[in-house]
Amino acid sequence: MTMNGARNAGETLLEIRHLEKRFGGVKAVADVTMDLRAGIVTTLVGPNGAGKTTLFNLITGHLPRSGGSVRWLGRDIGGLKPYQIARLGIARTFQDLRLFSEMTVEENILTVMEPNALPFRLSGPPLKERRARAGHVLERTGLADKRAVRAMDLAYAERKFLSLARIMATDARLWLLDEPASGLDPHSYELFLALLREEVSAGVTVCIIEHNLDIVIGISDRIAFLDHGRLLADDDPKTVLEDPALAAIYFGDRS
Amino acid sequence: MLWLQLAITGLQVGALYALTAVGFSLIFGCTRIFHFAHGATFVLAAYVFYYVESQGYGTAAGVLAASVAAVGFGVLMDRLVYAPIQRHEGSFFTVFVASFGIGIAVQNLVGMVFGRSFVTVTTPLSRSVEVLDGVYVSPLAWIAVACAGVFFLGLWFFLRRTNLGTGLRALADNPELIRVFGLSPRLLSTYAFALGSFLVVPAAVITGATAGLNPALGHHVMLISLAATIVGGIGSIGGALVAGFGLGLAESLALLQFDSQWTEAVTFAILFLFILLRPSGLFGRAATS
Amino acid sequence: MEAYLLNLGVLISLYAILAVTLNFIMGYAGIYSLAHAVFFGTGAYAGASVALNFSASIFVMVPTAMLCAAALSLLLALPALRVRGEYFVAASLGLQVLAVTVFAEWKAVTGGIGGLIGIPPVDIAGFEIYSPGSFFILSLVTLAAVVAITRLLVRSSFGRSLKAIRDSESAALAFGKNIALIKTTSVVISAALAAIAGSLYAAYMSFINVESFMLDTSVLIMAMVIIGGTGTQLGPIVGAALLLILPGALSYLSFLPQTEIGSIQQILYGLGMAVLMIFRPGGIVGRGRAETGEGEA
Repeated sequence: MTMNGARNAGETLLEIRHLEKRFGGVKAVADVTMDLRAGIVTTLVGPNGAGKTTLFNLITGHLPRSGGSVRWLGRDIGGLKPYQIARLGIARTFQDLRLFSEMTVEENILTVMEPNALPFRLSGPPLKERRARAGHVLERTGLADKRAVRAMDLAYAERKFLSLARIMATDARLWLLDEPASGLDPHSYELFLALLREEVSAGVTVCIIEHNLDIVIGISDRIAFLDHGRLLADDDPKTVLEDPALAAIYFGDRS
Repeated sequence: MLWLQLAITGLQVGALYALTAVGFSLIFGCTRIFHFAHGATFVLAAYVFYYVESQGYGTAAGVLAASVAAVGFGVLMDRLVYAPIQRHEGSFFTVFVASFGIGIAVQNLVGMVFGRSFVTVTTPLSRSVEVLDGVYVSPLAWIAVACAGVFFLGLWFFLRRTNLGTGLRALADNPELIRVFGLSPRLLSTYAFALGSFLVVPAAVITGATAGLNPALGHHVMLISLAATIVGGIGSIGGALVAGFGLGLAESLALLQFDSQWTEAVTFAILFLFILLRPSGLFGRAATS
Repeated sequence: MEAYLLNLGVLISLYAILAVTLNFIMGYAGIYSLAHAVFFGTGAYAGASVALNFSASIFVMVPTAMLCAAALSLLLALPALRVRGEYFVAASLGLQVLAVTVFAEWKAVTGGIGGLIGIPPVDIAGFEIYSPGSFFILSLVTLAAVVAITRLLVRSSFGRSLKAIRDSESAALAFGKNIALIKTTSVVISAALAAIAGSLYAAYMSFINVESFMLDTSVLIMAMVIIGGTGTQLGPIVGAALLLILPGALSYLSFLPQTEIGSIQQILYGLGMAVLMIFRPGGIVGRGRAETGEGEA
């Protein structure tokens, strides 16, 4: 619980109220109410199938909600399309990465800085600046000498870092990370944590789905515990981790 | 009474459209395979019937031969073309192109063997009888509608009441679940192709005796099947049925206003309106990505 | 023989333009259109009408043709691309079928079944291009220009957006790409560039009718792209050359029934497409596409 309390919560970025998602008769997300506040790292934990990824999909508009509301800086974003929500400053990664696999590493980074739908540039930085920024991000994620390699030809850990590099190249204020560190070797994992800490101190707000308790403890300011689509706890890490009832649910599922 | 005449013709055409479209919709809904060669199945069945019948072997033998040809072709497509593609990739693109290529090859083979001009199966059943003052109906119209009714009832019973049918419906929803229950998705896929291909046989046979055949008919059949599947709602077999009848009626009734060369334009207009205003179709789940 | 080769060269260049422009949407945006011959035809009829009634200058004819095709493609793409890929296949097939009827029936503009005759040769700043040799050069230069434009587009931010959408739609959405708009733009560009080939074709043949713009033509162009190699720069040109040389080559094989050459050609490329998809989905020029293993939500 190294960093707990070290950061002060800023304004509320995302207000989730009574959010609900039904698939047929099953409630994948049921009556979830929580806030994501600037500068705070919130970790979503819970057994597999608890609705964590579904919650991300509801926030980013990849799935339509069945009820409740999501507000970004006070504005209801429920009816917006995913690309509109992304442009507000909410970026995400995917559990299965979804890299642009036939494009090169550098192209993967460049394209996230280029949301324009026209064949010519109307706004945004010129190519030279975008290249420089991509180079900087690739440098930090250790992918600099892979810039011309196709994403599909990268090793597993490199693919994970490309997924992170892609989100680092955006101007997003809120990052939703879906198991970004799963399967990383200890060395990569240290690099990943260091990068994430740097970004958080530079002002990024993070919500992260994670199973690895080291990461949960190492970086979280808050832990939100989901089970069967319900939010069972949303509190500081110590309180949540020491709750025997939650531990029973969590470890019971994973044994 | 022209409108009544056209409505009855429309029902007859619609019954044939519905049978073909339901076959395509069943295959697409269950297996997610975009079986563009479904039009080729239709052409193959129709010409096999035409050949066997015109050689004097009789209608029953013709229907049997057409059924064997249709089911055989569908199953072979599944086994020899789609199965290997799905083993290594199975994207929409590869499946569509392979299916499309086979469709072109079949159309031209049929053209080389049977000629490219129109042929018609002659039968006393296509002779029209005056049923009302100025309204002529051929017995084939009733046969078409009756066939559609019998086949759909049979299909409904099969999908709802048999284990295989339940398996097919589950395949549409969740292929993973199928494995859990120890069934083979590949085997079920073959059944879906056999059944879906079999459904075109009555339509192919009756079309040969009413509108006539030419090898390029396959594209028209595909347009109708696609239009009915989308208008009815992807994954909804009942939707394809209703939409097939609807398209047949609309094409026929359009003759009140337009010349006959515009009938396909009517299909396109309806398809386009649905894509524009109601992309999920009549009974479909949301289709937007 | 020289005339035969020049004629073949012109046709290969014009069809290569069609194949390159279809490849632009198939290979980079993952959009499968069965209506490419419609935009070819729209360009041909629009160019011919302008040349017959107004001016045969290339600077009038070609832009008009491009505008007409672009407008038509916008009408098709705007609604159809909001939904799944299968919808565009269906809608484009429908448009192709409808367009054949319109080309054959709209006598005032298309001349009906008989088509338009006596289309004047194209005029570039006062020089009429009518010898096969000079037209061959014109069509080669145009092909080079179209290739250069699409190459530039593919390597621009727009091209990266297209490829990103092709590789993963949900990730492209998550990074702010307006997928429907980007895809629609690509279809409009593709149709407008295809119309250049159409207007030049009309000027070259001096006679056009619906026969050149039917579903068979759309299928032929698609086969050129696929057999050459979808998503490659050179593939569509190789495919166009291959499929246009094929009938001539087949007619040298005297054991084949000469009246069936057209059918044999279509059977060959139909089976060729299927076999390629089973064993080598990247086409002749393409590298084998490997599975990316990404499910789309």
